[in-house]
Amino acid sequence: MSRPLRPRAVLSALSVLVLLSACGGSGKEAPGKGTAASDAPAHGDAIIEGSIGDISGFLSAVTTDASSHEAAGYVFNGLVRYDKDLRLEGELAESWDISPDGKKITFRLRKGVTWHDGAPFTSDDVMFTYRRMIDPKTPTAYGEDFKQVKRASAPDPHTFVAEYARPFAPALASWGMHILPKHLLEKHPDISRSPLNKKPVGTGPFRFVEWKTGEKTVFDANPAYFEGKPYISRVVTRVIPDLATMFLELKSGGLDLMNLTPLQYTRQTETAEFRKSFNRFRYLSSGYTYLGFRLSHPFFKDSKVRQAIAHAVNKKEVIEGVFFGLGQEATGPYKPGTWPYNPNVKRYPHDPSKAKELLAEAGWKEKDGDGVLKKDGRRFEFTVLTNAGNENRAKTAAIIQQNLSAVGIKMEIRTVEWAAFINEFVKKRKFDALILGWNITPDPDQYDVWHSSKTGPDELNHIGYANAEVDRLLEEGRRTFDTGKRKKAYFRIQEILAEEQPIVFLCYPDSLPAVHKRFRGIVPAPAGISYNFIQWYVPKGEQKYTTFRQ
Amino acid sequence: MTAHSIFRETLRRLARNPLAMAGGAVILFFFVLALFPSVFSGHDPNRIDILKILASPSESHPLGTDDLGRDVLARMVHGARISLSVGFVAESIAIGIGLVIGLLAGYYGGRVDSVLMRFVDIMLCFPTFFLILAVIAFIGPSIWNIMFIIGVTGWMGVARLVRAETLSLKERDFISAARAQGAGTGRIMFRHILPNTLAPILVAATLGVAGAILVESGLSFLGIGVQPPTPSWGNILTAGKDNIEFAWWLSLYPGLAIFLTVLGYNLLGEGIRDAVDPRLKGR
Repeated sequence: MSRPLRPRAVLSALSVLVLLSACGGSGKEAPGKGTAASDAPAHGDAIIEGSIGDISGFLSAVTTDASSHEAAGYVFNGLVRYDKDLRLEGELAESWDISPDGKKITFRLRKGVTWHDGAPFTSDDVMFTYRRMIDPKTPTAYGEDFKQVKRASAPDPHTFVAEYARPFAPALASWGMHILPKHLLEKHPDISRSPLNKKPVGTGPFRFVEWKTGEKTVFDANPAYFEGKPYISRVVTRVIPDLATMFLELKSGGLDLMNLTPLQYTRQTETAEFRKSFNRFRYLSSGYTYLGFRLSHPFFKDSKVRQAIAHAVNKKEVIEGVFFGLGQEATGPYKPGTWPYNPNVKRYPHDPSKAKELLAEAGWKEKDGDGVLKKDGRRFEFTVLTNAGNENRAKTAAIIQQNLSAVGIKMEIRTVEWAAFINEFVKKRKFDALILGWNITPDPDQYDVWHSSKTGPDELNHIGYANAEVDRLLEEGRRTFDTGKRKKAYFRIQEILAEEQPIVFLCYPDSLPAVHKRFRGIVPAPAGISYNFIQWYVPKGEQKYTTFRQ
Repeated sequence: MTAHSIFRETLRRLARNPLAMAGGAVILFFFVLALFPSVFSGHDPNRIDILKILASPSESHPLGTDDLGRDVLARMVHGARISLSVGFVAESIAIGIGLVIGLLAGYYGGRVDSVLMRFVDIMLCFPTFFLILAVIAFIGPSIWNIMFIIGVTGWMGVARLVRAETLSLKERDFISAARAQGAGTGRIMFRHILPNTLAPILVAATLGVAGAILVESGLSFLGIGVQPPTPSWGNILTAGKDNIEFAWWLSLYPGLAIFLTVLGYNLLGEGIRDAVDPRLKGR
């Protein structure tokens, strides 16, 4: 599903593609409460969030999962970020100029910003970050955007200039990448192995306090934050690898924020008691769930087979049965209602007989009456992997399993803990098929996921997709600032993806966060609820945690 | 007294123990369920029906449905087959290993005994459940792997029992007699000693099956045992945990089945122990 199901507040919309351990995101259903006099903003209190998976590190350049990126979002800043309407605004950059030909961006950096250790933030740090992003020794999935820069310069401590050889549409958005402290990292050639990946020092609204592996991460408000000290004094993210347990914790007061499952949203939170303590929100999340294939696998090389599976899978049943209708059928990697989304692509209605036809055309036939298709002496049997703890994915897998057995395909299901799933199976390409989620970034450039050159172990095209026309269109889409032209390229990409079905797009789930009622200042917007996290507050009289042990 | 009449005497004493008989009846009941699942439920245990998600018990679904609309009764009776056979096979493996090691250690004594028993001590040092978790992480979860792992981590008690019996049996006159007649080592171990150790093994096995069923349920509950959609009591219980507030039937029935089976095996095991223990004779 969309963002990690992590019920974790996201400071800003993620600007890069990450793998989602569950669905979730940001948005709202409940109306905001009127602000009475006693509700005046006040500093203090802590918020405790639940998270299904632990983080893998704080340096977002070298992690690809949503948990880690969101944790990093508390501590680090980019030059730019997305505002509540998903428009780019300055963060560490006060303002910027783009040359008329679009090839040169001049950032004017904020003055007086300091790192959490007191050192001043300057354009040297930006330069350092840029150099590390293009350094082959940095195991990053996000280097491509920075390799587009022809020349970078820092004429003075508060100016940074990036020049591109050719127009590069995602250029500005790419500077949402977290800026790293040069003075702490320059001695570490591989930043993923530096101590900072475990004990970060950033410029962000919260300072790192501790990370207990598999248990929790703790952050305290940064009094020197350049946009003012956040009202909430402490953020604790507890790792609870099971959503039902997490929900019990929420109700018993051990958590203040989590993303509900559709089941919890529809059946367990309608009670007056729950409504008394929590606000629920609902909005289409920025992400989608998919059934992906390792395309080098002999079964899945053939697009007819993948189309057949798309016809065999009953997406409506998944949305009704797993998401209780709180989601939409997915047709491609863009979010409905946004400009890159193409609603008119080939769809694959549930049609088992059509699926069987396509499989027969691909040479898969039932031969000995055992109900499993065969071709060249091989039975159509494979294993689908998904992450443990996310009941929705397990249930989705069970439905797909039944759908596929109806057309003669035998699918085994295996669930694996999140970190092992990513590191041992996804990165090492040790899977036949998997059920997983991608987030959807506001900029439609998905070069890193779909381009045929992005198939290295730390890169994101883990299914091994390669299509010359898609490669060309991805290139085209990022070479112009003309939204009309970009739209044309991305529309065509969606048509090709829909036709070829390198993955079966399943569903855009809704985000369903629940937040304790004592938190005020939450204003749902297209970006979700957490874009203004530093303005969330608890009125003095309602504060729950008043003393902190350091 | 002949072996035959000892067996009959044992059975007679067992039959007079009401608790053991009740335990046996419960186990028999679940075995019948496992052998003829379709007699008890006409539903397909893996048939998903999204229109009937979490339906409470009714005429068409006597034990309700689970979170994918599957019939709980059908899953229970098919799960009985899995859970019971895991217990049975796992314990058979454990007894096979335990018997051989116990016999060798007891019969040869000396250095062989020391080495084998230290190995038993080493195996006993590991917390079994965590050892199983670690092994599954390597070889992957499946029914066969679960049976295998529970078996190879659960034989130490049997080995110790058999060794103790063998130590005392090998000094008896009938063994000396057999040896005097020229019987080889293998024949003495397997034809003369082994049959005489079976009574305590039977007791250990009965209790062991109960333990194995609990371990399987625990593993399946944690999601690393029997993999979905194959039903086992443990993984039905997992779905129950997520929905316990409004779908009590998903937790109650598999929980009850595990509880009753384990209780049944324990009662039966204790009954057998009482029946074969000569010190209770004539009571």
